[in-house]
Amino acid sequence: MSMTMLTVIRIIWILAAYLGVTLLLPWIFLHKRFAVIGSVSARFMAYFMAGNFYIMNLVFLLQLLHISCRLTLVIGTLAPFAAAAFQYRAFVIPALNRALERTRLVAGGEIGRKTLILKLHGKLRRLSSGTIGKWMSGHWTDLVLTSGILFLVFYMYGTNALNVYGYCASDTVVHHYWLNEMMRGNIFADGVYPFGMHCILYYLDVACKIPGFVLFRLFGIVQTLMIHLMLLAFLRALCKSKYAPYAGLVVYLLTDRLYQYTYYRYYATLPQEFGMLFILPAVYFAIAFLKEKDFMLTEKKKRLCSPAARLYLILFAVSVSMTLAVHFYGTIVTGLFCVGIGVGFCFRCFRWRYFKRLMAAGIAGICIAVLPMAAAYATGTPLQPSLNWGMSLLSAGSTETAPAENAEEQSSAGSVESPGEGASAGSAESSGEDLSAAAVKSAAKSSPAASVQKERQVKSEGLALRMKQFYHTALNELDYYVVNHDARVPRLLLGGIGLLFFLGILWCILRKPEYGAVLVSTAVFMLLLTVLQSADALGLPQVIEVSRHAVYYAYGSVLLLSFCLDAVLFLLFQGNRLMNLGSLGALAAVCVATGLTGIRVPARLTAYETNGAMVCLENIIRENRDGGTWTICSANDERWMVDEYAHGYHYEMITFLRQMENQEGFASIAIPSSNVYFFIEKIPGLYVDYLNTEKAERQVSEEGAREPLSQWPGIVPYIGDARWVTMSHMYYWAQEFKRLYPNEMEVYYENDEFVCYRVRQNEYSLYNFAVDYGDAGGAQAD
Amino acid sequence: MISRRNYFTITIMMFVIFFLCMFINNLKDTWNDYSVNAYAEDASGCPSQVNLYMPGSFEGVHRSQNPGTKENEEEETEMVPRRKVVYIGAPDGVFADMVYEWAVYTKGDIARYTALSSFQEAEEETGPAELLVIDPAGVRWEQEEELRFLADCVEQGIHLVFCRLPEVSVIENSEQARNLLGIRNIAEAETRVEGLHLYGGFLLGGEMVYHALEEEDQKYQDLELTFPWYRLEAGVKVYMKGIPEDESVKPESYPAVIWRKSFGTAYVFAVNGGYMEGITGMGILSAMSADMYSYELYPVVNAQSMVFAGYPVLADENREVMEKYYSRSVKQLFQETLWPGIMTTLQDQDIGLTCMLAPQYDYQDDNAPDSEQLKYYLKIFNEQSVETGLYGFDKSDIFGMWKFKEDQAFIREALGSYRFSSLYAGDAEDEAITEALEEDGMASVKTVVTAFDENRQDVVGFLSEQVTRQRITADGLNYSFRGDFLARSMETALGYLNISFDMSRVAYPETEEDLWEKLALDFAKTAGAYEEDFQGFSGTTASECDARIRRFLQLDYAYGRTGDRIRLETNDTGGAVWFILRTHHEAVKEMEGGSFRQLEEDAYLIQVEDRDVMITLEPSEKRYYY
Repeated sequence: MSMTMLTVIRIIWILAAYLGVTLLLPWIFLHKRFAVIGSVSARFMAYFMAGNFYIMNLVFLLQLLHISCRLTLVIGTLAPFAAAAFQYRAFVIPALNRALERTRLVAGGEIGRKTLILKLHGKLRRLSSGTIGKWMSGHWTDLVLTSGILFLVFYMYGTNALNVYGYCASDTVVHHYWLNEMMRGNIFADGVYPFGMHCILYYLDVACKIPGFVLFRLFGIVQTLMIHLMLLAFLRALCKSKYAPYAGLVVYLLTDRLYQYTYYRYYATLPQEFGMLFILPAVYFAIAFLKEKDFMLTEKKKRLCSPAARLYLILFAVSVSMTLAVHFYGTIVTGLFCVGIGVGFCFRCFRWRYFKRLMAAGIAGICIAVLPMAAAYATGTPLQPSLNWGMSLLSAGSTETAPAENAEEQSSAGSVESPGEGASAGSAESSGEDLSAAAVKSAAKSSPAASVQKERQVKSEGLALRMKQFYHTALNELDYYVVNHDARVPRLLLGGIGLLFFLGILWCILRKPEYGAVLVSTAVFMLLLTVLQSADALGLPQVIEVSRHAVYYAYGSVLLLSFCLDAVLFLLFQGNRLMNLGSLGALAAVCVATGLTGIRVPARLTAYETNGAMVCLENIIRENRDGGTWTICSANDERWMVDEYAHGYHYEMITFLRQMENQEGFASIAIPSSNVYFFIEKIPGLYVDYLNTEKAERQVSEEGAREPLSQWPGIVPYIGDARWVTMSHMYYWAQEFKRLYPNEMEVYYENDEFVCYRVRQNEYSLYNFAVDYGDAGGAQAD
Repeated sequence: MISRRNYFTITIMMFVIFFLCMFINNLKDTWNDYSVNAYAEDASGCPSQVNLYMPGSFEGVHRSQNPGTKENEEEETEMVPRRKVVYIGAPDGVFADMVYEWAVYTKGDIARYTALSSFQEAEEETGPAELLVIDPAGVRWEQEEELRFLADCVEQGIHLVFCRLPEVSVIENSEQARNLLGIRNIAEAETRVEGLHLYGGFLLGGEMVYHALEEEDQKYQDLELTFPWYRLEAGVKVYMKGIPEDESVKPESYPAVIWRKSFGTAYVFAVNGGYMEGITGMGILSAMSADMYSYELYPVVNAQSMVFAGYPVLADENREVMEKYYSRSVKQLFQETLWPGIMTTLQDQDIGLTCMLAPQYDYQDDNAPDSEQLKYYLKIFNEQSVETGLYGFDKSDIFGMWKFKEDQAFIREALGSYRFSSLYAGDAEDEAITEALEEDGMASVKTVVTAFDENRQDVVGFLSEQVTRQRITADGLNYSFRGDFLARSMETALGYLNISFDMSRVAYPETEEDLWEKLALDFAKTAGAYEEDFQGFSGTTASECDARIRRFLQLDYAYGRTGDRIRLETNDTGGAVWFILRTHHEAVKEMEGGSFRQLEEDAYLIQVEDRDVMITLEPSEKRYYY
């Protein structure tokens, strides 16, 4: 089977498993309760929030109780259904009896197969021409366009996964390590950290039997798909016109005017992006609550919230909790949007009955998210260093500009090394994300910071001057971090914010205050994002690392575009029948404009390991699934990939070589497993940031093997030139070992850039792998 | 009440069923031509001693006999040169005959020198050898030049096999010797181990642990368990290790028994102990040879035989003892107890059965053999494809012509005439056997099964010009670890297993250990020991084995490889011949001119039907994901 086919099957598998537990099961369980939620889009967000929230907190609970396993997870998943069945046993038991009776009749042959098929066919026909058919007839354009969006997402972000099999972000391996520790019942292995995404991945791994490394490879695609669907659902729920939301998404997916770093992170499975799933639903449910005018009902002389309002508040709390449970950047962005809502809905938001409930829901959401972390902290687990940094920043109001994630990565790098001897490619954090967009882009563009600082020195006196200064700073920052090679786009973005604000005010004046409030909220939110994007240049605290903030900014620009378009269309057509036609025309125009201004091609990133290594890993796992121990000796992330397998082990390449070099006299290296695999890159990778355009070209050589091995700790021996030296040593060691053991050491897999050797051995008679492989090698066989 | 119509129908059906059963049995009985030995053939048309392959007959170099005859053969396959084996050691040494016989069986050339220095002198004339098999007594270990010469040989690509190691003191004092043998240092000059661990991939039959963990299994342990304990260098591969008494010793530190040191150019094989003495050495040599090359193809007999010596007996003998132990006569015991037990044990095994008939053991008493009993056995043997041979001994284990005269007289009287084609001669002298075969009625015998002899290495061969000899390789009633090791060795070298069961022990028990209830356990253990390990080989009766031995001894062949195709040419032997193909991570994909069967991982039994055969190989594993 080709890896492409395997990848496709696995994406479908992950998609089915994830959507099964986060959409299907909540729909089955909650569809009656959620019927009060008006639109399909809102219900879609509601089910998704409910499913994620339940699974996330179920895993938290079971992990903290140290009873997490497949059985408890499955029981936990089905427990609500069992409880519901018990509550409604008067209906459930007869229904079960009927089902059993039908089964008995079918099994006993009293109902023939043909009759059964006929009945099922009839039911399906009634369903298709009934409920589903009616619904479909009103939404077929939406279905077509949504399918188109899905196709575009898969095309843009899925093709990379079909061609590149390794991890595409350096910090993935740290998260993989944390996930592996969860398998051992050790949540918060590296300290207290938002583990929401890890909980979901852990659930999919354990309950749905999807291996961790597959999830980290491919879950990113599912996550990206859902991010776009959430965006679409949010816009569809709030826009007046039908097709304006699609216009924003089309531009977001296709235009080449956005800087690559604003979407490159979608190619990986990362918490920040996973957290984006919950930002817009939180905003939507807050807005939906604020739209409820008379939500207080009098029932049995008690004044209660209406079911819809109560549900919105609960879902707002749930969404807020998940933003924090996954990544606190998401909470910050949600908070910014909430400020925007505060401005937009100022006429309603600050009424005590709204304000107190919203605040209570927000605080409850935060408490729910903090509770597992607080429980772990209270029981002695320290904070993960990146969290420490974040908290100190918030408490001290520091103006440190060091990227938050860098602190996380640096600390993670250390912690990843701790479980085992030697270095791990997984600890490549410092190398991977340090070389972030800012670092890379600095080679292409001159930094605006210097000019901004200079400008800052000029003391301005008037507000107009200050505004002008802010405008130019924002333009520079947007041009630098968000936009790609087009100075007009930042102006359009800032102009769009102004236009949206103006349209919002206009609609308020035109007596559509709720709609206007949404527009104003979005405009204020985008303005705040712009301020935050330029925070460093403006001398404000940089709460979110600037290049990562650009991801949110680009995401927000979709709202800007769609709402502007929607507001204009609404203004033109006033909600009459031609409005949908007009919005369809606008969508077509946007598509054409995007095409004319430039369409980006799907990126093909440089992964942190070769495709050959991943093909080998898949084969090794498959071939050894029936037992037998196996060890991979490599310089890559296989260390954490094999950790999940009971019979799989990893041997650090640098440790292997150093052992040979450092043993005095008789050198002995025995690897106690039946199969030992050596992953050697004939063209060693560079192991640097995926934005790097430099391709590895230098082959392993005797020259490299003559160079001394790097004695630096951590992953330094696996980066750049040091990696070339390490791989050259390993390659010539392999040649010598194969010369001595020509029949025992076989080429397991080979392509132009990678070779995997396999040595099969009896576990009671292990080979001594320490052989003298020439001048470069340090081992002495005798 | 039953109606008349139903009554009539039932009666008719019963009659039909009864008729069919009786009819079939009657037909079977009528068509059972038991009085004619189906295995008896005229030996004059078969390959005889004059056709025997002799080393050097190809003048030292394998040549393609029929090059490029395949129509679609684009390029001529370069044939592998005939293996040139040099034995260094005394001609009367314990390894000399074994190495010679191995060279004959593998159709190689062999030269023998009493000392390494003699070979060193002669090498310029004879040219380089491919393999040096060395008796350590043939090397002057104190002479550095000789050790240097051996190191030079390795450098030139000549593999060395040390049939045993020199004294510990020699190894201790000679760094050159240690380097050559891959010994780092000496842990103990002598150690006693509890058992041996033979790793898979060396001898056929897979991994085997000769370690008696249970008290009752201690009787099986008869292997050499005392030898020096050497610590080995890097670049060494161990095939067999001792299991020390000290459980704290890690497996990787266990004392090695058979190992190989790789020099990149050639291998040096070392055997620590006397495991290569006798015919076991042939299997070890074949296994070593298979590890020297990327693939190895060598001929085998492919015969798995089981011989019941002295079974059945037709006279009612030793009645008192039989009554005492079994409460029945020996005839009843053999017929009602032994035969069903034997057939049950062997029902799923592909092994050829030959029963060496003993009309009577005691020719002095008045109990004459029962001719009806003879017919009964011949019938069931015929039905079960069991060959009937003749047992050559009497109660006192005397092999004599007078016995055959009496036996022939009885058989003539019972059946008219019956031509035996196999004879069980046990440990009788060759002259006595030859003389016996000249007796009247014995001319039809074309193969003689003889007992295992530690001092004779010719496992299969010709006893006379037309009569072959096939030696027993395992005593079925005395399972032992040494016997098991020998059997594996023989399977590896020749694909040959011949297990004998001396049933006279049952008829004339000397101790209670000879009672069938105990012997049956040993029988079952022996029969079961090889059941799974050697399933790929064919079961043969003594006569079928004889035909294969003749073709095997006459066989000569040449082979070579181009890419993934191995071309094999053989001379005309008048029938199928078999080879073992041992590879490393390669499997037989298809074959032209014969058929193949996998014996175990990387080992295939090749049946050659045509003279020109093409074997196509492929990687034994394919990656599922690509």
